[in-house]
Amino acid sequence: MTDAHRPADPDEGLGDDVKSRTQAAFAELARADDAGRSEARTRLVQLHLPLVEHLAKRFRNRGEPLDDLVQVGTIGLLKAIDRFESDRGVEFSTYATPTVVGEIKRHFRDKGWSIRVPRRLQEMRISLAGATAELNQQLGRSPTITEIAARLDVSEETVLEGLESANAYSTLSLDAPDARSGEGGSMADVLGEDDQALQHVEYRESLKPLLAALEPRDRQILMLRFFGQMTQSQIAQEIGMSQMHVSRLLSRTLARLREGLGDEL
Amino acid sequence: MTQHDDRALGRPEVELSVPADGVHLSLLRTAAAAMAARLDFTLDDVEDLRMAVDEAGALLLQQSGDDAMLTFSFFLDGPRLVLRCEVPTPAPRPPRPEGFAWMVLTALASSVEVGLTTAAGASGLSLVLTHPREQDERS
Repeated sequence: MTDAHRPADPDEGLGDDVKSRTQAAFAELARADDAGRSEARTRLVQLHLPLVEHLAKRFRNRGEPLDDLVQVGTIGLLKAIDRFESDRGVEFSTYATPTVVGEIKRHFRDKGWSIRVPRRLQEMRISLAGATAELNQQLGRSPTITEIAARLDVSEETVLEGLESANAYSTLSLDAPDARSGEGGSMADVLGEDDQALQHVEYRESLKPLLAALEPRDRQILMLRFFGQMTQSQIAQEIGMSQMHVSRLLSRTLARLREGLGDEL
Repeated sequence: MTQHDDRALGRPEVELSVPADGVHLSLLRTAAAAMAARLDFTLDDVEDLRMAVDEAGALLLQQSGDDAMLTFSFFLDGPRLVLRCEVPTPAPRPPRPEGFAWMVLTALASSVEVGLTTAAGASGLSLVLTHPREQDERS
């Protein structure tokens, strides 16, 4: 389907058919049992996927793959379906549009690049993370640049370039709470040794408030690396994120502390 | 903390000088990573080295004199990479061994040595880092 078929106003041209089927599906959603509800929900998603695709396409030239945009847009659609109250007299598509667009915009805010990075490098970052994780598993240790280059069939320079550009990936996304932050049990045990390790640092009085101001996860990673003497790969495994992500978080945390300590470095 | 004997290092493999300004650190970081790749460092070691470059750079930049140049020299020592970073400064102060920066540097490198030149007109501060850490080395 081409853009020419897409109306600017999502309400128009969706067709009476879609409208009536939407209404029917919502009516069923309201009264059916669990199985029927799930089916009605699926039907609503299918009916409105073209709307999501249409909205996602408005953002397609901003460096994120269209598929990803459609996916996050669909999450917005699901939220809209769950929140929609059909007796308010508003068309569902009118209600859903801002939710879908909001979800896509949030994706850009969370996952976007802080500086413009060529598409090629953005894709390289993703390949790098994947290859690193696989090789880590396979070799039982962190891979070398040569090994990563061989796995991806690219030059070592390309890998290095990819590593450097990975640091340009939005710092905002690093602030997103991670899924596992709720289960900090084992981490808390490790952190119990903080004070002991920090005793050797003279400036812990000025360091303390800075450490306290860090995100718990950032502090954990810092502690594990510099006081627990774990490698980045080990930390990545422990916390459940990629080694590249650990690397970015660590660099950022160090930069913050440096800034905070000022002359007391 | 020991004073480093410069003569032991010989001729650097690569030497890079940039104006003593934080904006140039990324260049030094990438150069260090490229050298490490040649030595077949693991990604963990490469990332540690990049972080050490940041930390050492930040330490030296703090003390750099006006219009100073920050110089990074890379030496190959068998399986290891030795990195000397130096900056001219009118009144060189060694980093505090109990300071946070020092703790970070020593956690990232297998050894860190401080060089202090106080000769009139040529005073400066240098750090010599050896990578990777022994405990991380592969057999």
